[in-house]
Amino acid sequence: MPSTLVCASDAPAMNTADPLLEVRDLKVHFFTRDGVVRAVDGVDYSVNRAETLGIVGESGSGKTVSSLAMLRLVPPPARTMGGQVLFEGEDLLAHTPKQMAALRGRRIAMIFQNPATSLNPIYSVGAQLSEILMWHEKASRRQAEERVVELLGLVGISDPGARLRQFPHELSGGMKQRVGIARALMCNPSLVLADEPTTALDVTIQAQILELLADLQARFRMSMVLVTHDMGVVARMATRITVMYAGRVCETADAGTIFSAPQHPYTRALLDSMPRIDQSYSGSARKTLPTIAGRPPNLLNPPPGCRFHDRCPEAMPECRKMMPVETTIAPGHSVSCLRRGSTGVAA
Amino acid sequence: MAIETATLNAVQRAPGVWRQSWYRFRRNRAGMLGLGLVTLVVVVALIAPFVAPFEPTDQSAMLRGAARRPPDAIHWLGTDRNGYDVFSRLLYGARTALLVGLGAMTIASLIGVIIGGIAGYAGGMTDELLMRFAEFFMVIPVFIVILAVVRLFGIVVVGTWMEDIPNLNLLTIIVLLGCFEWPPIARMARAEFLRLRNAEFVEAAVCIGTPRRDILVRHILPNALPSLIVLVALGIGGAILAETMVSFLGFGDPKAVSWGQSLYFNYEALKVAPWAVLAPGGALFCTVLGFNLLADGLTDAFNPRLRQ
Repeated sequence: MPSTLVCASDAPAMNTADPLLEVRDLKVHFFTRDGVVRAVDGVDYSVNRAETLGIVGESGSGKTVSSLAMLRLVPPPARTMGGQVLFEGEDLLAHTPKQMAALRGRRIAMIFQNPATSLNPIYSVGAQLSEILMWHEKASRRQAEERVVELLGLVGISDPGARLRQFPHELSGGMKQRVGIARALMCNPSLVLADEPTTALDVTIQAQILELLADLQARFRMSMVLVTHDMGVVARMATRITVMYAGRVCETADAGTIFSAPQHPYTRALLDSMPRIDQSYSGSARKTLPTIAGRPPNLLNPPPGCRFHDRCPEAMPECRKMMPVETTIAPGHSVSCLRRGSTGVAA
Repeated sequence: MAIETATLNAVQRAPGVWRQSWYRFRRNRAGMLGLGLVTLVVVVALIAPFVAPFEPTDQSAMLRGAARRPPDAIHWLGTDRNGYDVFSRLLYGARTALLVGLGAMTIASLIGVIIGGIAGYAGGMTDELLMRFAEFFMVIPVFIVILAVVRLFGIVVVGTWMEDIPNLNLLTIIVLLGCFEWPPIARMARAEFLRLRNAEFVEAAVCIGTPRRDILVRHILPNALPSLIVLVALGIGGAILAETMVSFLGFGDPKAVSWGQSLYFNYEALKVAPWAVLAPGGALFCTVLGFNLLADGLTDAFNPRLRQ
């Protein structure tokens, strides 16, 4: 299935990987009244320096929760149950709350989904952004504001000096998201987590914001984790892509491979179900948009074996019994599927 | 380019939360009346010593045989049966009323916001325990407690250094009112902290490494203020009324010049000198009405969606 999408990187995967962040066997469970929901159940991925890792998956696949777990911000009733988050060699899950507070915003920053609600309505843009520098770098208000003006200019806000005194409600949605991005970049973080940064924006603004993010990322050589359900966004932004389903990783590969030679049946089904502009889905052709039959499993009681087996067109009897283990099938390309050569463990 | 900059500089500043609320409030006639009445009481309280024609403790009229005189040119609202000038005591009474209202509600707000805030932010078991504690306070009849404590305290302090504290009785009433009026504020604070704890901007603040104290004080509390202010305004009226009732029953501070005291001193002479009762009664009515209307107006201004 040749892809018509333009990929951010068609270069072959770099084998000289220099991981900035490594997530190993991360488990986050929600302890609800009805039982334990395994929202993230043994997830592995890594982010190299200066690359963008796109994490895609449908709602409830655990992509947001796993990124919050990195910052140790999973909300109750969720708890991180195990695994490691190695950031520049340190295990964040072993950090004290104080160490985490010193790290958040300074070395790992986050860009939020909804710019309308992620800025405090009662503080001016300048007050909100300079606060960060005053925390982390003990900067004076004057120094902090200078840096804020500089960053606001950098994220493409016109007349940054005047914007400093404005309040969030005086800015448009796209402008607010630019402020959100500036906030993430205040302390030159080495890793930025962007959780659906464009979902709340309209399409024309989306394109501008993505362009800005790509530009800033290249300029500061920072790493980015881009969580989204929009294949178009990852195609444009990501160097490598991790596909998640029901709290587990299905497939990880560089962006070109995911789109040109997807291996996992879920990845294939996901790509097939994207509407394409060069195809007609109505009229005489009578070709309907393919969808994935069934629903995502209830994680309170996940299906045994491969989580995808009951919706998988290629499922075989073993898929019900064996949980596939992530296996590297080509340099930089790993898959968890028994049909693609993964080994399985008895579920 | 020049044009662009010009338009940018002329960018109209959209009104903020507070300003928008003020616009809405200004359109609310009842609310504005309340604000007017409250302002009047505050002004009266401030200027009382400069405009009152007599000292509030001046009983010389009685010595002249001029007690219980109807209003005339010297005593604008007449004199009461103790020879006090009704008008002067009316003006000074505003100070006591405000002192009681603000004092009690300051105490109540502090306790309420701290307990409610902790409950809402911490959640879980802490929340349960603190809220049950608040409910425990809600079922205690404040009034009886005040009457009992004032009487007991009045006996206990005799002969101790505490006897020298001016207006000890009044202070006791204020503190007790504050200590019993906080549960509604705590409940509201809890609800607001609970809502705001999960707001995205709070999460964002956590994500930039803001210390928890600042999350609570700088990010959550200011956003919870509109709802709390309404309750406080309502509570001030309630506290003033409560102090009046205590005083009217004769448990008030004999040294304080309060409207409740005037009512207590004069209700038996209602037929002979009605002005001595009607004046403080009217003042009390206006003050409490003012605070209630103000609170109502503030509710509408801060939560326009509530009004159907």
